[in-house]
Amino acid sequence: MRIIVPLKQVPDMNQVKFDVERGRVDRSSAGTEINPFDLHALEVSVQMKENMGGTVTVISMGPCRAESSLRDALARGADNALLLEDRKFAGADTLATSYTIACAIRKLGKFDLIICGEKTVDGDTGQVGPEIAEHLGIPHIAYVSRLEVREQTMVAQCEMGGRAYTMESDFPVLLTVTKDLNIPRLPGFRDKVKARQVVVEVWGTRELADFVDISRCGVRGSPTRVHRVIIPSEENRKGKIFRNAAEEAIAEIAEDLLRHLN
Amino acid sequence: MSIAEKLQEIVGRDWVVAKREQMERYLADETADAIRPKPADNVVLVKPASAEEISAILKMANQEKTPVFVRGGGTGICGGAVPIADGILLSMERLDRIIEVDRNNLMVVAEAGVPFGNMLKAVEEASLFFPPHPGDEGAHVGGLVACNAGGTRAVKYGVIRNFVRGLEAVLPTGEIITTGGKLLKNNQGLDLMHLLINSNGTLGVITKVIFRLCPKFNSSGTLVISYDSRHKAIDTVPQILQSGVIPLAIEYVERDVIEISARRLSMTWPATKGLAYLMVILTGDSEDEVYSQGERVSDICERNGAVDILIAERREEQANILKIRSEVYSSLKPRVADVLDITVPPASIGVMMDRVDAVAQRYDVKIPTYGHAADGNLHPHLMVDLAEKGILREVKRAVYQDAIELGGVITGEHGLGVIRLADLDLCPDGKIWELMRGIKQVFDPNNILSPGIGVL
Repeated sequence: MRIIVPLKQVPDMNQVKFDVERGRVDRSSAGTEINPFDLHALEVSVQMKENMGGTVTVISMGPCRAESSLRDALARGADNALLLEDRKFAGADTLATSYTIACAIRKLGKFDLIICGEKTVDGDTGQVGPEIAEHLGIPHIAYVSRLEVREQTMVAQCEMGGRAYTMESDFPVLLTVTKDLNIPRLPGFRDKVKARQVVVEVWGTRELADFVDISRCGVRGSPTRVHRVIIPSEENRKGKIFRNAAEEAIAEIAEDLLRHLN
Repeated sequence: MSIAEKLQEIVGRDWVVAKREQMERYLADETADAIRPKPADNVVLVKPASAEEISAILKMANQEKTPVFVRGGGTGICGGAVPIADGILLSMERLDRIIEVDRNNLMVVAEAGVPFGNMLKAVEEASLFFPPHPGDEGAHVGGLVACNAGGTRAVKYGVIRNFVRGLEAVLPTGEIITTGGKLLKNNQGLDLMHLLINSNGTLGVITKVIFRLCPKFNSSGTLVISYDSRHKAIDTVPQILQSGVIPLAIEYVERDVIEISARRLSMTWPATKGLAYLMVILTGDSEDEVYSQGERVSDICERNGAVDILIAERREEQANILKIRSEVYSSLKPRVADVLDITVPPASIGVMMDRVDAVAQRYDVKIPTYGHAADGNLHPHLMVDLAEKGILREVKRAVYQDAIELGGVITGEHGLGVIRLADLDLCPDGKIWELMRGIKQVFDPNNILSPGIGVL
């Protein structure tokens, strides 16, 4: 089984601050880590490899610092790591990102499965995985929360729109998985020490020259435009005492609840 | 005029509660049911908003010779927050302002009723760090000081006492005093601040706290080290400390206990191998520094028979491990009759574990034990079956006797509270208790503040 896991390095969202004026994430305000959803994709891939044999290749697009996330993935059981890094890849939206990753996957050669996290915690679109499948012309199943892999096929249960679907597919296929699928393992300390020494293979436009149309990468290849970002203000708990005024209290609480529901 | 009416005159009528059904949750703390003291029948709950209001309350109570009990977050486990005599229960919850995070002096100033978790958040937002972590973040900062709380992160930096730089407190006679300040040195007379720390609300009501802070470390990692035998795990601990690596925390837990906690939280303990675990938190200025410490620790652990070593670096993964460890007591609590808090010299912890084993064998009972391995602080859990067999006190005193023989004490961080006073006869040197009684008399001539708790 040859499995590819695209993963993204994201800021620690519990720590990161928002640049309200510019309407974007201040990436310098927090550490970085593998997108939490991608850890579940990696875990199921490593479990499959352990049960059925094969290899797991992790692939990420981003700046050099994303190498640390790829090394973390190696320590957690991946066999190979590939970083797509080039100034011309910068500023990509989901379409350009999925296109560039799909081109790299094409260059990597034959594969059976691509497994992604359902979305990233910083972008929250859930689009990159399915778009990779479209670029590669393979089927995809999104939001997989249970998975059974057989010799020639796999059966996935996924939840969308409040309904559960059971889907079966041949290989190759792309899956996006939810956090319900498994509990990611911790890396072994010695594995982590070893992975920290690994020199990660890096591909840029030169390495992908025969596979990529540069005009479809990075900012040039991104039709998405962000017009405005609104950061909702936080409301803290408030207390109010109604003294001998039960009816007034009930009316006000009901009004408040209705306002929030609407 | 009744006590409740007098209190209403001081704080306003919204902040005095006399109806029993409206104060139930204020009448107990987290002490195990089997040994938690019973609250008195006639208690009036008052919620002052300032040191001045507390001063007026204590002056009135002192005049009336009415007992006053102080309640912080109610997270203690030695009965120290339970009003055990008819009188006033003083809740600190409205003194909840974080007055200042002083980045220049590396200090935080907070009112006593600030929940610990809120203070940690404010400190973290200022990119600073408060090292001790006693576990329950619902504890009030004043309570942490009044109990000199310990917790998991005491190995590298010490317990709460090491971080208190100043206190404001109201004396039982009503005077408001300030001891210490934003100072690193202070030899101006006897150190009353350190007398108030761990006074369990018996010498004064702490109303404001100044804590020292540290710069935030840049990198951290939590090692989960698995062993097949508890002895191998425990024997490793002094060797780690002797190697020169001083972790933020070294915790010892066993599989059956930690998995109960994980299940209760719907979480998963990350280690799948082994029966006994060390949880070692390493911190440093850089990832390289953490890894360098990690390699030294791993070498020692592997030499001592560790069967697996995992590392958590992601913030969420580290927090989950700490959470599972911190909630062990809450998870076992329904079946616990008493949680002991013995502390022995750090290098004697292996011998102490043997002694606990021997006691368990002698009485044919199971005593789940975990603790802060590097501090020599162990928490053997005496389960409800001991109470059912009528041997709870006997087993407890046998363990206490062993700890004392090894140069230890019967409580390292939970405090005497109410539940341990009956066993002080095991602790030698009557003179020190006489001195403590004398000090209490000077502060509280009418013995109105937390009578029957803590010191005597």
